[in-house]
Amino acid sequence: MIGARMKSRVPITIAAAALIFFAGYAALFIAPDERTMHEIQRVFYFHIGLWTGMYTALGLAFVGNVAWLFTRKPQWDWLGVSSVEVGVASCTGGLITGVLWGKPAWGIWWTWDARLTTCFILWLLYISYLILRGLIEEPQRRATLSAIFGIFAFLDAPLVYASNRLWRTQHPSPVLFGGPDSGLDPRMVRVMLIAMVTIVFVVLLVLADRYRLEKLRHELDELQLAADLRSAAPNSVASKELS
Amino acid sequence: MTTARAAAIVLAKELRLEFRARELLTSTIVFALVIVVLFSFAFDPTAGESRRYGPGLLWIAFLFAGSLMLNPSFAREQSNSTLDALRMAPVSPFAILLGKMLANLIFLSFAEAILVPVFAVLYNISLVGVAGQLILVLVLGTLGLVITGTVFSAVASHARLRELLLPLLLLPILAPLLIAAVESTGALFAETPSLDRAWLAFLAGFDIVFLTASWLLSDFLLEE
Amino acid sequence: MKNFNFLLAAWMAVWAVFFIYELSVASRVSKLRDDIESLKRQLKE
Repeated sequence: MIGARMKSRVPITIAAAALIFFAGYAALFIAPDERTMHEIQRVFYFHIGLWTGMYTALGLAFVGNVAWLFTRKPQWDWLGVSSVEVGVASCTGGLITGVLWGKPAWGIWWTWDARLTTCFILWLLYISYLILRGLIEEPQRRATLSAIFGIFAFLDAPLVYASNRLWRTQHPSPVLFGGPDSGLDPRMVRVMLIAMVTIVFVVLLVLADRYRLEKLRHELDELQLAADLRSAAPNSVASKELS
Repeated sequence: MTTARAAAIVLAKELRLEFRARELLTSTIVFALVIVVLFSFAFDPTAGESRRYGPGLLWIAFLFAGSLMLNPSFAREQSNSTLDALRMAPVSPFAILLGKMLANLIFLSFAEAILVPVFAVLYNISLVGVAGQLILVLVLGTLGLVITGTVFSAVASHARLRELLLPLLLLPILAPLLIAAVESTGALFAETPSLDRAWLAFLAGFDIVFLTASWLLSDFLLEE
Repeated sequence: MKNFNFLLAAWMAVWAVFFIYELSVASRVSKLRDDIESLKRQLKE
């Protein structure tokens, strides 16, 4: 029983799957071998892609937060929560790939270098956003207060990065890949871009689905309201109009 | 009524309320002291270690004690519905926020004024010669804490679990401030004390960014 | 291939995160759709 809506999603899903497979192939076979770390370095392409995905999602979240405060249209709140959730997922992936890269490449699971610390703090920050939302019942207030927190979090992000960078310049941590953008083999750059595009594409797809979820929730609430009104006053004009 | 005047009135009210009972201030100071003492049990630091980890300990104590102290800022209003009365007054929401921020700044500074000398004695760190610069660092750091903390106190006051929520929201946001404050303080506690201008500028920048954001968002923060 | 286990684990982690999240969203969406359909039918009566 596949409805029309399901059918239109098939081409996009196939496109996503194709991109994912191609990106994987590129990372494994097209990208050249790295001198010191060899195979495990290939995680880097997806690691960077996940960060890009996270920043894209969090940028969209900021847009949603600001737009909600000034327009009060629920669509912006839906964008806000959807992007933060997907952003957190992307960040989680970034942290996991970071850990799985660190152990074989440098012998340690974790280090408090600027980038890793920043990613971890951002992860905590946006999880707090989601927790905050869970603790406020009333939808309007929830949207407004989480938008305010979301804006603060977004403003904080560059400060987190800058402070960690400055801190780590003063007290260098044991390891760091010396800036992957410094003198990258052009083949590596190409594969990196493929991975970035793939992950951003997946992020946007999942975001769209999550947005749809919020929209449906809203629709359900409206219908529920109509049903409640109907049962409370079966012949009133208001309930008839709503349904 | 100008913003400054309104803020001053709110500030006076907050101070009057607190100094009548003084419970908030004493609890904050005692809590911070407990953290400072526990550290010595947990880590048994040598003189060198005290100097090294002292700044971090001090600021963690301030952050934790501060985030507990900031809760009542808006929670009190919530339980008495006094915020509605405030809102109806012909003052800008930012004036109310500013008044509370200043009150919190005074309370926390009071606590710090007692805690820092005690800390210096307990961990044998000399503050002679760096007192003025230390005060500058403390003020800039506490400002950041109080600015963001007061805003988040308003946010958390409408949610469940607000005592747990406030630190949860506040502490990740304050991570850059913590780093900057600890580094600046550390530079002052060192064998050859120095004032780290880069970190001071960072602290000032942090305060300005979040004060501006608070000002821009104050209407939304205190709305119905 | 050196460190193949880690590479494979990382690769799987990347897609598992999104896949699991997408699955949770999709299942909630279909459940909501069912609820909406039933409510609509209820209102038509």
